[in-house]
Amino acid sequence: MTLHDDDVRARRRRAVRTAIVLGLVALAFYVGFIVMSVMRSQP
Amino acid sequence: MAHEHATSAAHDDHDHKPHGWRRWVYATNHKDIGTMYLVFACTMFFIGGGMALGIRAELWKPGLQLVDPGLFNELTTMHALIMIFGAVMPAWTGFANWLIPMQVGAPDMALPRLNNFSFWILPFAFTILIGSMFVPGGGPAGGWTLYPPLSLQAGDSFPMTIFAIHLMGASSIMGAINVIVTIMNMRAPGMVMLRMPLFVWSWLITAYLLIAVMPVLAGAVTMLLTDHFFGTTFFTAAGGGDPVMFQHIFWFFGHPEVYILILPAFGIVSEVIPAFSRKPIFGYETMVYAIASIAFLSFIVWAHHMFTVGMPLAGQLFFMLATMLIAVPTGVKVFNWTATMWRGSLSFEPPMLFALAFLFLFTIGGFSGLMLAIVPADFQYHDTYFVVAHFHYVLVPGAIFAIMAGVYYWLPKWTGHMYNLKLGTLHFWLSAIFVNVLFFPQHFLGLAGMPRRIPDYAVQFTDWNMVSTIGAFGFGFSQLILVWIVWQAARGGERARARAWEGAHGLEWELPSPPPYHSWETPPSPGVIARGAEH
Repeated sequence: MTLHDDDVRARRRRAVRTAIVLGLVALAFYVGFIVMSVMRSQP
Repeated sequence: MAHEHATSAAHDDHDHKPHGWRRWVYATNHKDIGTMYLVFACTMFFIGGGMALGIRAELWKPGLQLVDPGLFNELTTMHALIMIFGAVMPAWTGFANWLIPMQVGAPDMALPRLNNFSFWILPFAFTILIGSMFVPGGGPAGGWTLYPPLSLQAGDSFPMTIFAIHLMGASSIMGAINVIVTIMNMRAPGMVMLRMPLFVWSWLITAYLLIAVMPVLAGAVTMLLTDHFFGTTFFTAAGGGDPVMFQHIFWFFGHPEVYILILPAFGIVSEVIPAFSRKPIFGYETMVYAIASIAFLSFIVWAHHMFTVGMPLAGQLFFMLATMLIAVPTGVKVFNWTATMWRGSLSFEPPMLFALAFLFLFTIGGFSGLMLAIVPADFQYHDTYFVVAHFHYVLVPGAIFAIMAGVYYWLPKWTGHMYNLKLGTLHFWLSAIFVNVLFFPQHFLGLAGMPRRIPDYAVQFTDWNMVSTIGAFGFGFSQLILVWIVWQAARGGERARARAWEGAHGLEWELPSPPPYHSWETPPSPGVIARGAEH
């Protein structure tokens, strides 16, 4: 069984998309915890 | 023309690989990057282990002998940071790089350049971290947990430590993204999720844990940095901040981190035990659900590290019971591994020996964890050597024995050569005996009241400390046998068959040993996948 060029290209696009989404999730955790701490530190 | 022909021939050669330093510095091949991760982890294991021997040598008898208390604190802090972030985590990423593409029928990791970047960050991070021990004021000495206000009192090493932790975190997150993207997008047609080997499953779940919690650690240390240099008071009570909040944030990262260190071990043991029992794994699907349940529960138990800090009774009860709940899926796994062996045709080569030792000794660590989960008991055990014994049972005969089981299992595949099984068995017995001599007496010391992280102690603790130190040196020097075995196998020896172990199943065993530099460029056929997926 071989993958066609279109399949490979589509797979590459899906891979990059998934990576960007996961990167944004990680960034959201980073920023989210800092923002939560800022809110909690308000007098 | 001749040159053109030679170039085209080289390009067609699927085992073509770059040579010299470029092969490693510019590496994008998952096998090369996996090898670099494993070599790096091994180096860090010996550096961190050397620090542990320094600690144990100082604790040979009461009084101060070899190191001053400041250096002792630096050694305990650096030992933990190096072993967790430099040895065990990179070792798992090394296994992931070597095995996941081969096991799911993919030609490589999905993002090879990101893979290269993830690895090459690490040597810089650890050069900075270890280098921080040589700046004015000495290295970080407040423990790997970096609790403020103590950690904020560090000298010039402080920003170096924080920067190094950020780099390690970035490396781990990029590695985790690569693992998830590879598994979700690069599987061969027909390799459905519930056909994937349990090692792949364990890493998929670990990668989600990493993406969720490494940024939390990064956030916590960023706030430490701003508290130290930019006048914020997130964790400074004098400015209205709360040092206990750091502990909550840290352990929200720290407890899942424990499972980041141990879940891939579950995956490896789930590969090794069926292979040497010559039976499929018992309860494949329940193993997957158990790993997922453990990962979920790991997010809701963090405050069991903080019972003595003080919290409402309802909080104590919740975190105690949630912690105890983890014993259920863990028990399912231990039951399934045992049931896999039941009426199997067992043989006891080094991978199986290490997997069996994992089963017994990790369970001891699990039981002492249950004891620590009980709030009133924890008030007694907290910050004693009992805790040190507990987590070392989980991490040394747990995670590290699983790493050894994995190395002995796949070494013939990686190198193409069988290693000396007798020497491997000797390595196992020395490790298994000395690891117990090293850590079991620490239970007694803790129950008798010896605090952790001290360079000196009351005289009644001497005997068991001496026993523990003998175990430490025995265990440490036994590991040189592993280095010798790996070195010998890498250099040559008896050729290994494609399926090096009679009972081994999985797509990696369908490839020759060693596998070609570029494997599964044509995805495996459904028949090959079905044969490989006989869990």
